[in-house]
Amino acid sequence: MSELVTQRQSGLQKKYRFTEAKRNAISGYLYIAPFFILFAIFDIFPMFFSFYLGFQKWNGLGEMKFYGLRNFELIFTDPIFWESIWNTFIIGIISTVPQLIMAIILAFVLNSRLLRFKNFFRVSYFLPYITSVVAVTLIFKIIFSNHETGLVNILLNYLGFKSISWTTSYWGIKVAITIMIIWRWVGFNTIIYLAGLQSIPNELYEAATIDGASQVQQLRHISIPLLRPAITFTVFTSTIGSLQLFTEPLIFLTKNSIRQEGITMVLYLYRDAFERSNFGKASATSIVLFLIIVIVASLNYYLSNTIGTRKRRD
Amino acid sequence: MIKKRLLVLLLAAVMAVSMMACGGGANKDAGADTSKQTDTAGDDNSKEKETEAPPEKVTLQVWIFGTTGYDELSQKYTEANPHVTLEFNSIASGDHHDRLFTALSAGTGAPHVTQIDVDYMPRFRETQNVFYNLYDFGANEIKDLYLEWKWNLGLGVDDSFLIALPTDIGPTAAYYRMDVFEEAGLPSDPDSVGKLISTWEKFKETARTIKQKTGKPMSDSVELVFNALRDQAQEQYFNEKDELIIENSPYIKQAYDFTVSMIKEGLLGTYSLWETEWNAGMSSGSYATLLAPAWMAGVIMGNAPDATKWCITSMPEGAGNWGGSFMAIPKQCSEAEAKEAYNFIKWLCAPEQQVESFKMAGLFPCAIASLDDATLASTPVGDGYFNGATAGVFAEAAKQIKDVYKGKHYPVANAEIVKALYTVALEGADPEAEWAKAVEAIKNAIRE
Repeated sequence: MSELVTQRQSGLQKKYRFTEAKRNAISGYLYIAPFFILFAIFDIFPMFFSFYLGFQKWNGLGEMKFYGLRNFELIFTDPIFWESIWNTFIIGIISTVPQLIMAIILAFVLNSRLLRFKNFFRVSYFLPYITSVVAVTLIFKIIFSNHETGLVNILLNYLGFKSISWTTSYWGIKVAITIMIIWRWVGFNTIIYLAGLQSIPNELYEAATIDGASQVQQLRHISIPLLRPAITFTVFTSTIGSLQLFTEPLIFLTKNSIRQEGITMVLYLYRDAFERSNFGKASATSIVLFLIIVIVASLNYYLSNTIGTRKRRD
Repeated sequence: MIKKRLLVLLLAAVMAVSMMACGGGANKDAGADTSKQTDTAGDDNSKEKETEAPPEKVTLQVWIFGTTGYDELSQKYTEANPHVTLEFNSIASGDHHDRLFTALSAGTGAPHVTQIDVDYMPRFRETQNVFYNLYDFGANEIKDLYLEWKWNLGLGVDDSFLIALPTDIGPTAAYYRMDVFEEAGLPSDPDSVGKLISTWEKFKETARTIKQKTGKPMSDSVELVFNALRDQAQEQYFNEKDELIIENSPYIKQAYDFTVSMIKEGLLGTYSLWETEWNAGMSSGSYATLLAPAWMAGVIMGNAPDATKWCITSMPEGAGNWGGSFMAIPKQCSEAEAKEAYNFIKWLCAPEQQVESFKMAGLFPCAIASLDDATLASTPVGDGYFNGATAGVFAEAAKQIKDVYKGKHYPVANAEIVKALYTVALEGADPEAEWAKAVEAIKNAIRE
């Protein structure tokens, strides 16, 4: 009898300390802990630290000095900073817009029943995405060489145009980088759209075909409106991607000659931090960049959300 | 049941810890990766330990970059000092300096001894206190062994603080293509070519002849010609207060204008340094000269292993320096270890070892005694690749180099001016407008 009581008591006591639900919760948290611990160390902490650094003067080794808003003043009065914003947006627009349009068309073609060897094309379009950015940029650098012997310049000469000095001219740099981005990302977006297209019920197309709608009409009135979630996603990722554009211009221009014709926002802050050991100013730039991304991304979200809704209303 | 849960918890904990350990893993891997030499040196230790009572055993981590041959060279040191074990760790220059910067910034993880490239010295100079002051170990005694300008580059912000001992330098000379000179009907032996381009005006005159006769440019790029002119200037971009002086001081502007005048006549090549075509151009003989430091010999031989027409002579009107390194002791180890580290780098930077490392890896010495060393002066560069040119030409160049104040903003300023020159050469831009733009950009960049 007394044994039983103590047993029950001890059982109760245990339940008091950790209920079943709590125990589950704890093990659950422990399972996801590795990610969050790493995330805290490598993402959360640096994020807040750079907010703090934005108001300091620091060369990375010595003492920090409180600088107030001086870093921001330096940035906003530097014409190259504005140039970097301009470049980022220009490259962003001329790479994203044609890219997404191309991706939709490609996805539509790949999804069409008329095309043969579909898997081959799907794989080929996606392949650039899994290549290394650095390697690709190095190869593009050779293709877009400044000299008459460069592949693109040979082509231009053949077509009767003058050679272009791709790494120094105002539009040369931008166009070369844009082509690199499009080449690399168009396949990725195509696959996203293709997945979106395949989730659209076939009956809609069949009905449209019976009603005599052409392929183009089907694309405009069925595919695009129903692709809205996929479009929102790709516009979102492409926008953030182009605002963070860094590796391509860095490798294309090489570290020692980051020219203002091709400098992007991230490149601007990278140069301040790692070339000029001015971590305060670089962090301040990253805060500005953060705000710009928030504004652009929300604007973007709003706009791409309206694409399908208006179409659906007609 | 409970056991099982505990096991799960334990596993989760282990995973978390092991993943966190990944962050610090780089260091450990690097440690395990150190050259085999450590092991052999260890063996030597144990053998010799029996015969004499050694001083306290010490293991020194040494970070180096590029091809130095220091690990091989240092076997002599560990043989003579069996209580010392050296762990060498060599990675590419960029990674090396980033890693060093991170370790110094974090206050932990730096090695006992580290090599630092001259270009990165300004980054560390202002915070000299992250290093031991080598004057505290008696570095003053060996000061006179080295070229003064090189020694001064190892100083901290004040002259009483020595961050690092000098290892090697990059004195410049004129590499040239004998075949291009011959094609233009000019003599091609080093003495005659040296006379032919002894002044910059003569250099330009020769350039015109070569352009006329062969259609080839005198130099690979605008950058190297400008560098050569710049290095001969009495003043560089900044005064000792780090104020930009190029608007009033004539020297840099003269160097710029002279380069522009050669661009305008089409006498300079349009390659950019380090691009693929520039590398390839070394084998084809598409230009006449390459004004570059001693270590460029290795680059030329690597890019054009089959070329037989390269030779070397002196630069017009004196030489400059490009590259070279130092050895420093980060202030993260104990005083006793630092002392051992100092003894090691003092040995490594001594004139005898500098001659050795020149023979082994082509690092050009900066010790006066090594420069006067007869074997060095008569050593053919690149084992005869340069048609009999000897290292003497660089030894002479090393003594001509001026000790001019450069300042912490030097890389920024220089990059802007060089960019302007490239724009003039490649885009045909107006040189005065580009100069003004560059000056503006420098002023903006150095504001604080």
